[in-house]
Formats: sequence, C-alpha cells, structure tokens
Amino acid sequence: MTDRASFLAAIRSTPRGLDPGLPDRREAPDAPTQLRAGEERPDRLQAEAEAASTIVHRVTAVDVGATVASVLVQADAQRIALTTDLAPFADDVQAALVAAGLTVTEYVEVAPDRARAGALDATVTGCIAAVAATGSVVTSAAGAGRAGALIAPTHICVVRDEQIVGGLHELFDGDALAEAGSLFALQSGPSRSADIEKVLILGVHGPGNVHLIIVAPD
Amino acid sequence: MSATREDVGGTPLPPGWAKPAHQPDAFELTTTTFAERAAKTMARPFARGAIANATDHAAALTTARFVGTDHEALREEARKIRAHAIANLPDYLDQWIDQAERKGTIVHYAADESEARRIVAQICTDQQITRVVKSKSMASEEVSLNSALEAVGVDIYETDLGEFVVQAMGDRPGHVIAPILHRTKDEVHELFSAMAGHELPNEAEALTAFAREGLRHAFLTADAGISGGNFLIAETGDVLLVTNEGNGRLTTSLPPIHIALVGIEKVLPRRRDLAVLLPLLTGHGTGQQITTYVSVSAGPRRQGEPDGPEQMHVVLLDAGRSALLGGEFEEALHCIRCGACQNVCPVYRQVGGHAYGWVYGGPIGAVLTPLFRGQEEAGELAQATTLCGACDDVCPVKIPLHDLLLNLRRRSDAEGHVPRHEQVAFALWAQVWSRPLLYRASTAVARGSLRALARNGVVSAKSPLLRRWTAGRDLVVGKRPR
Repeated sequence: MTDRASFLAAIRSTPRGLDPGLPDRREAPDAPTQLRAGEERPDRLQAEAEAASTIVHRVTAVDVGATVASVLVQADAQRIALTTDLAPFADDVQAALVAAGLTVTEYVEVAPDRARAGALDATVTGCIAAVAATGSVVTSAAGAGRAGALIAPTHICVVRDEQIVGGLHELFDGDALAEAGSLFALQSGPSRSADIEKVLILGVHGPGNVHLIIVAPD
Repeated sequence: MSATREDVGGTPLPPGWAKPAHQPDAFELTTTTFAERAAKTMARPFARGAIANATDHAAALTTARFVGTDHEALREEARKIRAHAIANLPDYLDQWIDQAERKGTIVHYAADESEARRIVAQICTDQQITRVVKSKSMASEEVSLNSALEAVGVDIYETDLGEFVVQAMGDRPGHVIAPILHRTKDEVHELFSAMAGHELPNEAEALTAFAREGLRHAFLTADAGISGGNFLIAETGDVLLVTNEGNGRLTTSLPPIHIALVGIEKVLPRRRDLAVLLPLLTGHGTGQQITTYVSVSAGPRRQGEPDGPEQMHVVLLDAGRSALLGGEFEEALHCIRCGACQNVCPVYRQVGGHAYGWVYGGPIGAVLTPLFRGQEEAGELAQATTLCGACDDVCPVKIPLHDLLLNLRRRSDAEGHVPRHEQVAFALWAQVWSRPLLYRASTAVARGSLRALARNGVVSAKSPLLRRWTAGRDLVVGKRPR
C-alpha cells in the first residue's frame, strides 16, 4: 500500500518544470465575473440572478415576512423549513407564515433524518454573502447547512444589501467565508440540465423554483 | 447499513436497471482501431449532426461570454497559476494534505489505477457500504471504479442525468461535460419506458422527472456518496465540485460517508485563484456565467452543523500523472477538463468521443490517452488531428495542444512506429515534389485522375476509389455544379 511519504517521494523524484511564479496582482484581471465600473451591486445581482432564472424580489426589511409567505402560498408549499442563518428575519418570517396558515419547522430539526429533509416542499435560508456579478448566493454548512438550499423544490434566500460583494475576487479576498464551517457553496439559480438533446430542464435534483429576496438598507 | 429503505421519497428503480460496469481491461482502445471506432459514429447520422450542433452551440456561448472583457489577460493569468501549481506540485500537495487532515479528511494514496480501485472497494467493505450515489467523475472512469465496487457487492447510482443514461445503457460517456451528446431523446425515451414498465411521455421534461424520482430515492438511502473533484485548494484543504443539476452537492451532503477520487494535478495554491479559474472553467465548459452549484468542502460535518457526512475520504490519484512532470508533456497536466477543445476540434466534431477509445476525447484525449495508456495501444491517436490549432486558441489555460500532438508524433517516429508503406510513400513524395518538372507532371496526373472519377464535377460515395474520403462527404473537382 502506498503511504503519504512514498507517494510524495515519487512525485518529488521527477524533474522540475518551468515555474512562471504565482501571479501576485494588485489589480484583479478583468473577467465576466467582476463588477463593472459604475454598476450598483444590487442591480447587477438582480440582473445576473434573473438571467439564471432566479425570481428576484427587492424589498425593505419590514416586507420580508410577507414576501416569503406570498411565494410559499403561491408554490402551495406545505412542509417548510427555515435555516438558522435567516436569523435577523426569522421571527418576522415565522409570524408571517403562521398568519398565512402555514406550518414551519427548523431545518436543524429535520435535517438529521434524510427522509424528512427529502420530503420538504420548501426551504427558506439566509446566506453569508451574495455575488453580484454571478447572481449567486453563498451559503455555509454552519448556516443553511450543506443541503438546505437545494433539498426542496422551492428555495427562498434572503440577502441583506451589505452582504453583497461585487465579484468573485472580492468574495475570495474578503472575510465572508471565514466562519463557513466544513463547506461553503455558491448557488446561482435553479438546478438545471440540458443532457437530453440540449433541451433546458429546470429542477433536476435541486429546486426548480428559486427566489432571491434582496433587502434594501434601512 | 441503512436501517429502513421504505417511505423515504422518490421511487426505487427496478432491480437490474444498471448494466454491469465496464471492466478495467475492456476499453475499446485495446481491441479496435481509431478508424473502426470512428466509423461507428459516422454511420449514425443523428450522432454526427448532434455532436456538431451541440459543440457549435457551446463554442458560440463561450465566445459570447467573454465579449467586452480582457479574455486574453485572464487566460494568461490562469496559465501562470496552473504552471506554477504543477511546477511545485509536491509542495502544494503536501500543504493540501496537512490542511485536509487538520479538518478531519482521511487522505488515501493511489499510485495507480488498481490501487485506486482497491482503496475505494476497501472503504466500502470496511464501512459495510452497499449502496452508493455517484456524481460524475472522469477520474473514476479512468480507473473503472464502478466494476471494482460491483465486485464487492455495492449498487451504484450515477446521478448526473447523462451519466445515469450511460450507466443504464452500458455505454460510455461521449464528452467530458455532456456525456450523452451522441444519444437521441428517442433512445432515452425507449430506455426509461422499459425501466418504468410503461410508456413515458416522449418529452425531455417527463424523462428527466422519471430519472429524478429514481435517483431521489437513491440519494435518501445511499450509504455513501462518491464524487470527483474539480480543484483541490492547498492553503485550505478544500475539495471543489461544480454541477448544474445539484447532484454533486447532494452526493456529498446526504449520505453518511463522502469519498472523493481526485487526480493530483487538480491542486491550486489559494482560494483566490478560483476567481480566475472558475469563470474560465464554466465559461469554456458550458458558456454559463458560473456553474449553478459550486461546492467547496473541507472535512466532514462539524459540531453544530445541521447536515453533512460523518466521514470524508479523499483518494489522491497519480496513475501516470507524475511521470509527465518536468518533461515535454507536462503542460497536459494543466488541463481543467472543460471540454472546450473537443467542441472546436474538426476531428472530434465528426467522430465523437467514443472514437478515442478510452476516457477523454478530442485534442486533450489524443494527448492524454497515449501518455496514460501507452504508445502501443493509443499511439495512433496523435494522428487523429488536422493540426489546425483551434484547440490552442480556445484552451482556457493555454495548453499548447498542437505542439503536444506534434511531440507525440515525433516520439512515435523516433521509436520506429511508422509503417513501411508510409516511409516509402513519403520518400517518394520528397523526391517528386522537390523537382519542378516531376511536380508539375504529378499534379497534372492527379487532376486528370480526379476528373475521370467525377460525375458532374463531384466524386461521390458511389465511386469505387477514394471511398474512405467520399464515404463522409463529396469531393468536388473544379466548380460545384448548380
């Protein structure tokens, strides 16, 4: 059996190739995944998210609960779970859902039993960041869990304006990922496949119905 | 291991739905020639048209994605990052292993394909794993992992829609990122209807829904999830996985054990390098702004996290990679498996992925296959190119594929792999074409012969001569008649 020492020794015994050095840039190279000059973050986030078939809602904090409730009523969701990263809005959302006659559970309660998690109709999560230039929400194992954002057919993610970063460079250079836990993940719109004759299908293994609620600053 | 398997959601697939996995020694490469394999795809007009259409589409999306950006600067930065990572591979691997172990990942070392099979099979035996969900992994195709798992009694569910079809048909993937590019909706409809035991609607949506239900049940009951990895991040011990369907994340989140099989060349120094590599991987792969699900994990579930596996294993795969370090083919290790070179290759577009006989098709397949499988079995693949250079122009990390193919040809010549008739023909050609009179005479004879073969200015497939050329296209002599 090969162990670490012999495995690495075999690799080390090879000649060393040409090393151009690791690029140590001040300015990030231009990429489609960067914010362009003059763009507002929430606007670009909305545009990119919509291009990826996410349904975007721009609201103020007081309207978060009602917006979530209306999406879930429309989706006819019965089994709904909230994740802990929804924290600043959790009470409002909970109240709005109860008022709309919906029952709600905590994802942390449901998740240990895969069968129960797999039977959810919708999850409502927060995030640790959103990336404007890719239309992505970034979730963490510590917050939304690994599967919280994609276990159910409907996913609603709530993002606060100050959580939005411009592009991928800003995400990876910043400190948003520091407390993510064992996983961080970007999701950008509904689950999709075009494997069968290039016909685009939404909602393959993950949600087909994806909503992003962008909360404006007070 | 799973206590109950009823009432968990989804619909179990019928027993025996999957065809037995391919054995490690059963690659077509060992038994057939490139021309024979190519002829099979050429004989299926749909496949040929579909491959060309789909690859056109992908190439156009890639071009559109980078309009208005400094694409060249981004590619150059990516090239440097990959070259630096590969030039310092042992150091970065060492760092990755330290970080991964610190976060609780169990790291295994597979020097070759058979060791990779043994390691994963052993984990399955030790942990009493009998059902596995798998997200698409080309490394696992390289080592024929599924056959080793079947041998120890594991049921495998390929969860990428395309790979699921491939598994149910007993086929092999035809493209790195679009495995059933060469298959029709009708073929999938027939297959799924037979599995369902009744006629399904012949629509992509209904067919996808059928697969989802069967695979949902598998996700909710599997003892382990097996994935590949798109990148390893040295500074953090991360394994990165991209999928559009979400099957990658479910594979690595729901079952109690996650096993990733990853080639050693996938290492990147830092997370910030992803800001350069990710847009290139997805932009050149599918033309998207970003792949729908990008998952970056290090170690198993931690205290207080609501879900996730209790164990995370990573099997580092060498299998011929380190042998390329520091040599004339080292740049082949820079590849990030986006598939862009396949999409633009005039040879791949005609013959499809199966013609290359092993795991990888197109220019990168023509390079990697002889290097990994040997000159004897795969040397002829270096000829499966027009040397047009389109692959060089599209490669997101600027691998000089054209030069690597030439190097392979040169190596093959140096080792004496040139057939006798070819040696004679080229010696004769050199004699004739270096003498003006003989040259003019030879072209006059050639023109005359072609005219004699042509009907209305076209040499068609009906002509007994030149059939290998005219079987796939007309040969126009002079002006094409209107």
